[in-house]
Amino acid sequence: MSADVSDLSLVRRVQRGDKGAFDALVLKYQHKLVKLVMRYVRNPAEAEDIAQEAFIKAYRALPGFRGDSAFYTWLYRIAINTAKNAVVSRDRSPIEYNLDRNSNDESNDMQGHMKDAETPEGLVLTDEIRSIVNGAIEALPEDLRTAIVLRELEGLSYEEIATAMDCPVGTVRSRIFRAREAIDRQLREVFEGGLGRAEELG
Amino acid sequence: MNEELDSQLSAMFDDELPTSECELLARRLARDELLKARWGRYAVVGAVIRAERGVRLNAPLAGRVNALLSAEPDHSAAAVPAQKSATRFGWWQPVAGGALAAGVAVVSVLWLRSQTPLPGGGLSAARAPAPATMPVVTVADSYVVPPTPAVRPMLVPSTELANYVVAHSVVSSPVARRNLLSSFITSEPAAAGAEEQKEDAKVHAQ
Repeated sequence: MSADVSDLSLVRRVQRGDKGAFDALVLKYQHKLVKLVMRYVRNPAEAEDIAQEAFIKAYRALPGFRGDSAFYTWLYRIAINTAKNAVVSRDRSPIEYNLDRNSNDESNDMQGHMKDAETPEGLVLTDEIRSIVNGAIEALPEDLRTAIVLRELEGLSYEEIATAMDCPVGTVRSRIFRAREAIDRQLREVFEGGLGRAEELG
Repeated sequence: MNEELDSQLSAMFDDELPTSECELLARRLARDELLKARWGRYAVVGAVIRAERGVRLNAPLAGRVNALLSAEPDHSAAAVPAQKSATRFGWWQPVAGGALAAGVAVVSVLWLRSQTPLPGGGLSAARAPAPATMPVVTVADSYVVPPTPAVRPMLVPSTELANYVVAHSVVSSPVARRNLLSSFITSEPAAAGAEEQKEDAKVHAQ
């Protein structure tokens, strides 16, 4: 399986004018990107602002993306550069940085959202999600749990997992899917119930 | 939800779906909000397993990016004005190119005609001195090659041209003068002979 095929399919759709496909890319990489940016800034809200800026830059630059590298590698570079610039800008003139943000109406809206997310309720929601997912993983049969952990934590390909677990690749695909379904079943209930707001926003 | 579709979605999320299936599913994923929500939850599961501390899983980042992108032009829409502008400014380019080529061709033909010696003499029409007494013969420009006559007509009556050459013998070299006059002398009998042959043919026919 050639790497980055699924991302490239979505990227090609965006390049043809399908913004919904970019949505899917944002949903897939938002957590990774925020985590990456947090190497440069400690504040989660600021990291999200920078990640957001990186996504917008990536969208604008996407017509020039030819697929020579993986999409995430390309996005990663944009995010790193955006984070470095933000840090330099903030260190040079922290007051000006804040004023710039305040001068933009959209940024004000964003800050409003960030305040929501920073509330104790927002923190509780994140903890609740973690608790649900971890509980669901613990409840998985061992073969499903091993497959999903090798995939998500170790980043192994299906073929490598098949070798590690001594089973066909098709079985790996099935195990990972079933593991995700089992976790998602519980997660979905929470999202559609108490975390409906998070789903709507995110 | 179709289990096969969900299985494909899971494989696509891991970049383990064949390309052809990816194309189709990407199209559906971009439009189907339920499928997209599931896709987003797969990402949340991955983030929890990787224990990405500090990352807020309920953060509205995707929603914010989505809202900002709604103000951005579609990439296909951005490409269309470029094509339109190309067509708007491009229509006259072939016409201008053709006109330029035609102009160059006309200049080349005129220049060549000025450089080509006339059949009856060594001087070109453009370079020949044109005294006031000299009858100026103008030939209309034509791009149609005329049929070659059996005997080339004399552009200038030979006696007048001979007089002209003699009159200007002071300024012309003897060799050039002799060549010019000899060409008149040799061409006139040929023309006369042709006329005689035509009259003979008419007589024989009668």
